Amino acid sequence: MPVWQVALVLNLTFAVGLGLGYAGWGRRAEALDREFDAARAQVERLERERAACRPGARAGEQQWEGRGVVRATYPQLLVITHEEIRGLLPARTTSFRAASPTLRESIRIGDPIRFSLQGTVADDAAVVAVEQW
Amino acid sequence: MKGLLLGVFWAHLSSCVLLVGTFFMLLLAGLPRAATARCWDRRLVRGSRLLVFVAMGSGIVWLLIRTAVFENRPQAALEPRAVSHAVLDTWPGMVWLARHGLLLLLAAFLAMRANVAERRNWIAARGEALALAALALALTSASSHAAAITPGTLWAVAVDVTHLVGTGLWVGGLVALALLLGAASREDGADARPYAVLAARRFSRAALMVMLLLMASGVLNAIAQVESVAALAGTTHGRLLLAKLGVLLPILVLAAVNRTRILPALSAPSVPVGRSAMRRLTAFVGLEAALALILIVLAAAMTLTTPARHAEPTWPLPFRLSLDVLVDVSAMRWRALLGSQLAVAGLVALIAACLVRRRRVPVLASGLALVAIGAGVGVFPLVVDAYPTTYKRPLPTYHAASIASGMTIYREHCAGCHGATGAGGPLADLRSPPTSRRHAGEIFWLISHGIPERGMPDFGSRLGEARRWDVINFIRVLGAAEGAKTLGSQVELNRAWLAAPDFTVAVGPLAPGALRDHRGRRMVLLVLYTLPESRARMAELARSYDVLSVIGVEIIAVPIHASSEAIRELGSSPPVLFPVVTDGNGDIVAAYGMFAAGPHAEILIDRQGYIRAIWRGDGGGMPRASVVQAQVEKLNEEKSPPPFPDDHVH
Repeated sequence: MPVWQVALVLNLTFAVGLGLGYAGWGRRAEALDREFDAARAQVERLERERAACRPGARAGEQQWEGRGVVRATYPQLLVITHEEIRGLLPARTTSFRAASPTLRESIRIGDPIRFSLQGTVADDAAVVAVEQW
Repeated sequence: MKGLLLGVFWAHLSSCVLLVGTFFMLLLAGLPRAATARCWDRRLVRGSRLLVFVAMGSGIVWLLIRTAVFENRPQAALEPRAVSHAVLDTWPGMVWLARHGLLLLLAAFLAMRANVAERRNWIAARGEALALAALALALTSASSHAAAITPGTLWAVAVDVTHLVGTGLWVGGLVALALLLGAASREDGADARPYAVLAARRFSRAALMVMLLLMASGVLNAIAQVESVAALAGTTHGRLLLAKLGVLLPILVLAAVNRTRILPALSAPSVPVGRSAMRRLTAFVGLEAALALILIVLAAAMTLTTPARHAEPTWPLPFRLSLDVLVDVSAMRWRALLGSQLAVAGLVALIAACLVRRRRVPVLASGLALVAIGAGVGVFPLVVDAYPTTYKRPLPTYHAASIASGMTIYREHCAGCHGATGAGGPLADLRSPPTSRRHAGEIFWLISHGIPERGMPDFGSRLGEARRWDVINFIRVLGAAEGAKTLGSQVELNRAWLAAPDFTVAVGPLAPGALRDHRGRRMVLLVLYTLPESRARMAELARSYDVLSVIGVEIIAVPIHASSEAIRELGSSPPVLFPVVTDGNGDIVAAYGMFAAGPHAEILIDRQGYIRAIWRGDGGGMPRASVVQAQVEKLNEEKSPPPFPDDHVH
């Protein structure tokens, strides 16, 4: 086989092998990443659903835990500056629905608290329990 | 260990460079027909086989040493598990694997005994070897200093690849050319002389282009890796670069002599004339190649040292040039202008002397004289004292906590001479513009070593380094606060100059944030307040928070008197929903109180981190929220925001 043909075959093998290998490996790594993220989100969601499991709970209801500082209280509403609530909200100040009007009786503005939220999505999540941090 | 690493890396880099240049030179010279030239071709191929083994051998030794360094255990170099971990689980290891795979392929290709008598086979064989060698060399950039530059990694790596491959083409080509010229200049090499002359001409043209590329990529590399004159003169990496330039200069002179004097002499058709010139060219090219190999030692050393932009510069000279003196002394401006004009006239004369032959010597002499006089007149006034720490980077950032700590130290150790406000007489006024313009590193040196002739003691033995930097941060605020007196309640468009010290925003036990978290995203209205005087104003701000938030402002409230009940004390009607700092208030009040003292003050900080407006007074004298809103809208209209201020003082 002449040298020019050897060089040509070598380069083609090299380029095609590199291209296919990279594309295959890259796609596979990307797909694995996506699968891993989805599985992790699913596990977290199931954990929240298990935590929210109680008699009379709605389908798909989850429970989240948060920590924050009370900024304002109303009979139906609690305004809390909170840390990130995993799977629900980033760190910010949010007004949450209070599941019971008695919740505000145990807390005052400025109190650092731990709180539990229940709901199916962020918009219908309500504070169901509060304790001092 | 470092010496061994340098030696091994030099051997590896040199062999890769020589491989690239060898095959480049062969392709440039073309298929040899004469016996001497064919002999040169075979010698180069035999030599390149040896070079591949040197490259791979030194590469393996280099990997073993790096593994020992990586694991911080000399015996790790001989542990297969540690070596495989270094190769397979690290990015430099992966790059090493790819490069040595290519070198192995090149070795197999070169070991192949094939008939290359036909032109296209010869070109394919040499071209393939060049491509594999160049790729193996270029991949070095993937784990070099350039690959660590962010953002713009791809550009930095591309520039580095250009520099590396260019070096390969040039240095390796020089060595191969020197061997060809050496063979052709021998008595029995007459048959190869036309071939050698043609090769030398082609290489001369190609080398000019490659050298221009090398210079351009070298400058870009230096800008990315060195960044400043201080880093160039004050770090090991920078000094190695200067040494590299020092070696490059004689190479360029030799190259110019070769191109302009010796190459034309090779044009003579007769064999004896060509031979003597060829011998001279062989010697010059050989010298050039030897110097280039020294250059590679320096390049290898640069690869193994911390890039200048990350290293701490130690200024080597007792002086530096500063334009600040022009601001302070108006007479100096005229002197500098006169000097610069004389120097420009001198440069024009020098250029004219190069272009025009008539009266060249007197024009050249007067040009040099004008440049010298211009430098004497214009440059000497710009010379100011400098110290080894002039460009030292401060340990703490420009942060309220550091400023507050500096304030305490200042009151204890410095206020006696400099006064509580820093206005301690003409020689000790720390608020004056000349003091503000001094480099922080210079003030650090003066604090550390004192100024005996002015009676200032040294604090190097009494205060730790961090505490000395705290004092410098405080001194910077003293100067800034003096300048900030002109800053009022109206934003001046496109005039951001007063950097806001960073501070920690701690609300209860929540994870603390910082002022700098808002950079590039939101403006901040910092409110220093006192209750009960500020109660009405805080209520107004609480009501306006929604509107201000929508137009891009975050309010951060800091009670002047620290209280763990700060949020509760503000009451619930209207609810205060912006951050109220409950921890670390003292530091913020100490730092920002220098700009606006009083029971209540509001400071508007733009998105870039500059203070743009200050409202001073008590809570009652504050503007309506709509006035603040108007200033914010003015800032929102600013077309070209300034760059973010540096986190450290300078």
